[in-house]
Amino acid sequence: MNYHVFTRVSAGDDLMHVGTVQADSDRLARIYAHRTYDEEDWDFIGVVHEENLIEVEGQPIAGGRTA
Amino acid sequence: MSDDGWPEPAVDYVQAIADTKILLGQRYGEWMLKGPNLEDDISGASNAQDEIGQVRQLFRLLTRQGVDDDWLESERDPEEYANAATLDAEAEAWPTFIVQVALTDRAAWLLLDAIDHDDFTGMVQKMGEDEYFHLEHHDGRLETLAEDQPEAVEAALEAYFPDILAFVGPATYDAASDPLVDAGFTDRPAAEIRRALFEHYADLFEGTDVSVPPLDDSVPDPDAWDETRRRVGDGHVESDVVDQLQGVSNQEYVIA
Repeated sequence: MNYHVFTRVSAGDDLMHVGTVQADSDRLARIYAHRTYDEEDWDFIGVVHEENLIEVEGQPIAGGRTA
Repeated sequence: MSDDGWPEPAVDYVQAIADTKILLGQRYGEWMLKGPNLEDDISGASNAQDEIGQVRQLFRLLTRQGVDDDWLESERDPEEYANAATLDAEAEAWPTFIVQVALTDRAAWLLLDAIDHDDFTGMVQKMGEDEYFHLEHHDGRLETLAEDQPEAVEAALEAYFPDILAFVGPATYDAASDPLVDAGFTDRPAAEIRRALFEHYADLFEGTDVSVPPLDDSVPDPDAWDETRRRVGDGHVESDVVDQLQGVSNQEYVIA
């Protein structure tokens, strides 16, 4: 399963997407993210399961015509 | 207690923890390029680094207790290493490896955490911060392996459990009889650590097809138990592993 890793350097900063990890569980994803992206003294590091990302997409809308 | 002289069995106790950690570093290193995915390899490499760093600290304390530095680093025969017997041989498969390092790393941590002595204050807390990530990695992996390959996990538990109980100590070492508790060096007897180790894995595998071996009070046999090497019998790591630990093949490049 694919997890996206988000971090910030300082409190108040926006979160940055720094990469992904492959993991079989949320528990493992947390550990893999810490181990893989430990190059900074992050204020925050978190993971999001790709399935939980909400896609933002345009929707075709009706033009108001009637048949 | 101050650092001016530990009680006699404490040097052996810390030596066994340090030697187990140096072998943990070796076993993590062997697997860091052949784990099932890159994330496991990176975690294994990080664990190896942590273990070697912890060994440096423990060796420093041992030399302050009069243990010879050259002997610690490079002048020992295989049978002089007091590592947990679980680490004598490299695991042959991934599930076996995870059980091997999970049991051993957790047991070593419990023994370290039981130390109640000024020399270890702060240092053990820092080591615990490292160990959190090791033990979470193992347990996360064991959870998924218990679903995917329960027979392999159970077989490895059965194979390693007697040796890990021997490393922790005999069941007869309770609050009234554990010499390290009696000397004030530790605050948790071996009997209690054995139970904590067993209960952790019983909880972890509850509801899965994996059975944890029973906590057998006759293992290790107290009469046959070697207090110095925390095992039964005279087994040891292979000499080529000791050569790697001591850097024998690269001796000429050692910085004087």
